[in-house]
Amino acid sequence: MSALITARNLTKRYGKHVALDQASFEVQPGRIVGLIGPNGSGKTTTLKAMLGLTQFEGELSVLGMDPRTHRDELMRDVCFIADVAILPRWMKVKDAVDFVEGVHPRFNRAKAERYLANTKLEPRMKVKAMSKGMIVQLHLALVMAIDARLLVLDEPTLGLDILYRKQFYQHLLEDYFDENRTIIITTHQIEEVENLLTDLLFIKEGKITLAASMEEIGDRYTEVMVEPQFIHAANALAPLTQRSVFGKAVMLFDGASRTQLEKFGEIRTPSVADLFVATMKGTYQ
Amino acid sequence: MKSNLTTMQWLLRREVWEHKGMVMWAPAVVALIIVTLVLGGLLMGQNLTVHMDGQAAHLKDHLVEHMLRPGAKQEFARAASEMYVAIGVPLYLELGVLVFFYCLGALYDDRRDRSLLFWKSLPVSDRMTVTSKVAVALLVTPVITMLAATALSLAVILLMCTAAAFQGVHLFGTLLSTGEFYLAPLRMFGLLPVYMLWALPTVGWLLLVSSWARSKVFLWAVGVPLGAGVLVAWTSKIFALEWNIGWFMQHVVARLLTGVAPGSWFMYVRPASLEGKEEGRMGAAELLFDSWASLASPVVWIGAVAGVAMIAGAVWMRRWREEG
Repeated sequence: MSALITARNLTKRYGKHVALDQASFEVQPGRIVGLIGPNGSGKTTTLKAMLGLTQFEGELSVLGMDPRTHRDELMRDVCFIADVAILPRWMKVKDAVDFVEGVHPRFNRAKAERYLANTKLEPRMKVKAMSKGMIVQLHLALVMAIDARLLVLDEPTLGLDILYRKQFYQHLLEDYFDENRTIIITTHQIEEVENLLTDLLFIKEGKITLAASMEEIGDRYTEVMVEPQFIHAANALAPLTQRSVFGKAVMLFDGASRTQLEKFGEIRTPSVADLFVATMKGTYQ
Repeated sequence: MKSNLTTMQWLLRREVWEHKGMVMWAPAVVALIIVTLVLGGLLMGQNLTVHMDGQAAHLKDHLVEHMLRPGAKQEFARAASEMYVAIGVPLYLELGVLVFFYCLGALYDDRRDRSLLFWKSLPVSDRMTVTSKVAVALLVTPVITMLAATALSLAVILLMCTAAAFQGVHLFGTLLSTGEFYLAPLRMFGLLPVYMLWALPTVGWLLLVSSWARSKVFLWAVGVPLGAGVLVAWTSKIFALEWNIGWFMQHVVARLLTGVAPGSWFMYVRPASLEGKEEGRMGAAELLFDSWASLASPVVWIGAVAGVAMIAGAVWMRRWREEG
């Protein structure tokens, strides 16, 4: 199957600062991709480039179109929630639904209303009277009612409490996602999306440092709680990182064979957060 | 894709939702205040006295006496029909201010509160968005103001006639049979194309600043033309170039800042009906004729072209300006 998004050597400079440095990656259809990186690593710039909100060097094709020149067409098939709480403050719930229905050819009003019926939002309520969580509910109701092929979420749950965050991802997964859709998420709350993602893209200093599906991650990376007598042997296999838990060394290996590692102690697949910390070592130093 | 017409219709609705206070309520409130004042004046005026020929007389009696003279009613009806639209002048002044500040905020407010990203997530081109804002500034707001002004003028003149009727002076018949009474409001609407053309450079400039400035839009919008004026004046003085500063102020600075004021065109094209007279009377007919005559001047067209170019600049800015 051909890729939904293909990026080759994306480069973006803001003055002297290089936000994207020859980044290349592909996103296949029907995936949920986590674009994960530290602050200032180029996540948002990458998303902006995909959405045609910024100029850049390099090649980028989203749904077969160049977002720089075909933004208006692209927006029929792409939805995005950029950051939380960006709905205009003067807008009423019913205005928002009416307007999106008016301008978006793929908007399903009944779907939006069904979703809104499960919230405390009233048609005459204004955005400025809503809590952050309610604004996100409204935005999500609008977005989920649009039959788009690509959904881009930039820190969609920032500043929300745990109930709203859980609910957000639950709705997204149960009511929205299917094999015809693709979702790209950036977030700092890795633990929350970890079980949702099918693919990972790690970005560091404008470069893609890891691009793999979760299955590949499971195959490639192993964490071992090394028994003291095997420390030397384990170190010889060049672990990515080493930390200690309850006095025992926990080592993270990339590409080492599991049968070999099993001899050193208990093994498990590392969490995305562990992997993130390991690969981003030294970012802020 | 939804047809451009449907999309435009929703974009216009959106603007009216956001600016309901400005587009609808502001003219309504001003009109209501004027009507209240007139009504108050008519009620209070019952007992006003004037001193004439050393005698105190009730103003009312004096007027009634005057109106009962032969031909006075016809004279009144004719003058009133020509002039009564002038009662809407406060609304037209207000229109200039409203359009000015609407344009300043039009492409700036949603960048400031970041809702820009929401608007940009919808399949609406930046050209359509900016066009909808131009349409609100040059079409929707002026038309609503004109409707309000017409309603106001009618209300005031009917109030006056009613007041006269209570004094036994019946003006309705004469007034309603005067053709000009009906034509005058139409003539005012006929001014709209002239207003649009003359307002274009100011609207273009304000939208351009609105799409470009990161903050302090008002300062940029007013400061840049005025600053340029000062700079030109200094350059001229320092190098003894004898440039015509007045020309620059009138044809560049004023065009960028005052074009949204209705009637601004008479700063550039002197109305023929006042030509050769110390003071002339300008009814709706003369106003319409002289205003359309201003379109014969190249000044308006050069400004309109500059305005359209600046609007195109605003579209480009809207598309590519990066925030934060």
